[in-house]
Amino acid sequence: MQLIEKLTVLADAAKYDASCASSGAPTRSSKGKSGIGSTSGMGICHSFTPDGRCVALLKILLTNFCLYDCQYCVNRRSSDVPRARFTPEEVVTLTIDFYKRNCISGLFLSSGIIRSADYTMEQLIRVAKLLREEHEFRGYIHLKTIPDADPLLIAEAGRYADRLSVNIELPTEASLIRLAPEKQLRTIKQAMHSIHLGESEARVEVRAPRFAPAGQSTQMIIGADATDDSTILHTAASLYDNYRLRRVYYSAFSPIPQSPNTVPFEAPPLLREHRLYQADFLMRGYGFEASELLSGPGNLALDIDPKLAWALNNREHFPVDLNRAEPAMIARVPGIGVLSAKRLVALRRQRRIRFEDLTRLRCALEKAKPFIVTQDYRPLQASRESLLLRQQLSEAPAQMALW
Amino acid sequence: MHSAHFDGSFAGWREAARTLLCHGLAPHQVNWRGDGDSGGLFDQAPSPVNTQPAAEPPRIPRQLLELLQSAACFRVEDRWSLLYRVLWRVAQGDRAAMLPGDIDGSQLHKRLKAVRREAHHLHAFVRFHPRPETVEGPQLVAWHEPAHDILHSASEHFAERLGRSTWLIATPDDGIYWDGRHLHYQRPCPDEWQRLAQTPEDDGQALWLAYYGSTFNPARLNRSALENSLPVRFWKNLPEGPLIPQLMSQARAGAQRDGQATAVAQQAGKSIRYNVAKKPPISGNADPAPHH
Repeated sequence: MQLIEKLTVLADAAKYDASCASSGAPTRSSKGKSGIGSTSGMGICHSFTPDGRCVALLKILLTNFCLYDCQYCVNRRSSDVPRARFTPEEVVTLTIDFYKRNCISGLFLSSGIIRSADYTMEQLIRVAKLLREEHEFRGYIHLKTIPDADPLLIAEAGRYADRLSVNIELPTEASLIRLAPEKQLRTIKQAMHSIHLGESEARVEVRAPRFAPAGQSTQMIIGADATDDSTILHTAASLYDNYRLRRVYYSAFSPIPQSPNTVPFEAPPLLREHRLYQADFLMRGYGFEASELLSGPGNLALDIDPKLAWALNNREHFPVDLNRAEPAMIARVPGIGVLSAKRLVALRRQRRIRFEDLTRLRCALEKAKPFIVTQDYRPLQASRESLLLRQQLSEAPAQMALW
Repeated sequence: MHSAHFDGSFAGWREAARTLLCHGLAPHQVNWRGDGDSGGLFDQAPSPVNTQPAAEPPRIPRQLLELLQSAACFRVEDRWSLLYRVLWRVAQGDRAAMLPGDIDGSQLHKRLKAVRREAHHLHAFVRFHPRPETVEGPQLVAWHEPAHDILHSASEHFAERLGRSTWLIATPDDGIYWDGRHLHYQRPCPDEWQRLAQTPEDDGQALWLAYYGSTFNPARLNRSALENSLPVRFWKNLPEGPLIPQLMSQARAGAQRDGQATAVAQQAGKSIRYNVAKKPPISGNADPAPHH
């Protein structure tokens, strides 16, 4: 099989993993040195595909031969897809070639499970080691971690990779048992724990070898099972707490060819995925608890964003006086982000905040208006019922897919 | 109205602005001429201004100078007046002029944001073409069309990225060449550099195009998200640019039903026979199954 044919198959096989981040790595430079590659902490999206998703890394599987039969996965052993396998040297060649062309900032390598978890993990490590040691490659490397692999192999992977990830796959153990019979929640969490431990040791001990400086992430598939958003967000919150994950990725389940009837064959729930990312961002960046966003069972609203939904359910905190309120409370106002909140606080040290300042800061005024007070403005709608406000602020239902 | 002539560079503007500030000339009294015209700084200035004893130059926060230098990269008909207005107001003690919520500050920050974004576009969307090893000159060449004057300040990034490889980036206005040790910046861009960058002898793009087509998920087609992140003006200089409309129309014509790339769907598949009852492949060396 020609290299280009392998690439066509193994990129197609890898694309259902949503993560493509190249951020969070320490600063590295190749200026005046042999070898190539740099990282700066900030990720770079080198291209975007017509699905609007970023291409930052060469995201491929080492092989899509797989012994597992996860129902949601296009590469499950019962799937009738073309199969291929790269040699480690081929992956290195592709990475360096694309990197020199400035098409990517690094490699995200995963694999189907072949022979055993340990054997598969060893193959992934071999590629990373070749890149780092033989080719002095200083770009970004993200390695997928095979949950059942020996912790010593995970430790070795952490020395070469910037980021490691173990996919939680599904939000509940019951779904995992039903749809991914060879995977176990216990070993997935053990692998996350090993990575977390490696990170903590590298941080505390000065002379410890470096370990995955961009931390670990995971992915949950949305819509392959019937789990609600509340369970998903609480699962994500506990992963952030227990293993200090940098990111939880939510991947709307995309229909796969020859779909087994255990999983849906319908358009991916893209709007639902978008709302989950918004809610996740509110937990990571705004100090919201999962229970504030969804207190009981159920799903996030699709017609309004989760911050607006929270504000409408908690009218007793509003309107917020932008000239007096704590910065964290200003950032909780719908239509005003963390950055705008900081800028408002900087501005009010110089003078009183007026309504037109919000226009200049490009806040989403229609959303913010009912919830704020400025020197020259009080909301007429302050006493209006939440239900009416919601009707007024609801986004027109958008048809996201064609079928 | 005084016409302030200078060479069009930020350093030149800064010198001129310092002098005008010392003479107490307010923004509405100054007309900036950064076209390298050889007229004097005060060629229309009435004598009272010229003979005023120059005051001590006011203290300007270093951070403001950095903001102004960066904002000066923003291409606009009259790029200097706003900068002097902000400088003047801060020199008068009105530091709100530097803030994004202010009437002038918001304009300044809008320019800063556009300049940062354009530097990021350079880092993201430049595409180098390797040249044959036997030829003289840079190993990698790229043609890029930035919307603002960011090439000089933003190109160091590639020296860090590409180590000792030599490279050249040419634009319609300026060009930059890294010889493995030093950066050489030229404005205007030499014809030879433009020729090298626009006619690369590169036949190695097929792999990247295959990857781009395969990593796209047609079930998630989303044109507006694509155009927000990858502005259409860049498509013509990207090797994958011509593929974008093709992939979109394939997706709309039926490929959207599932996520698989058309090139993969056309190939014969292969499911794997594996006896689960025998032994589940969990930890350890469960079952050697050389499937390839």
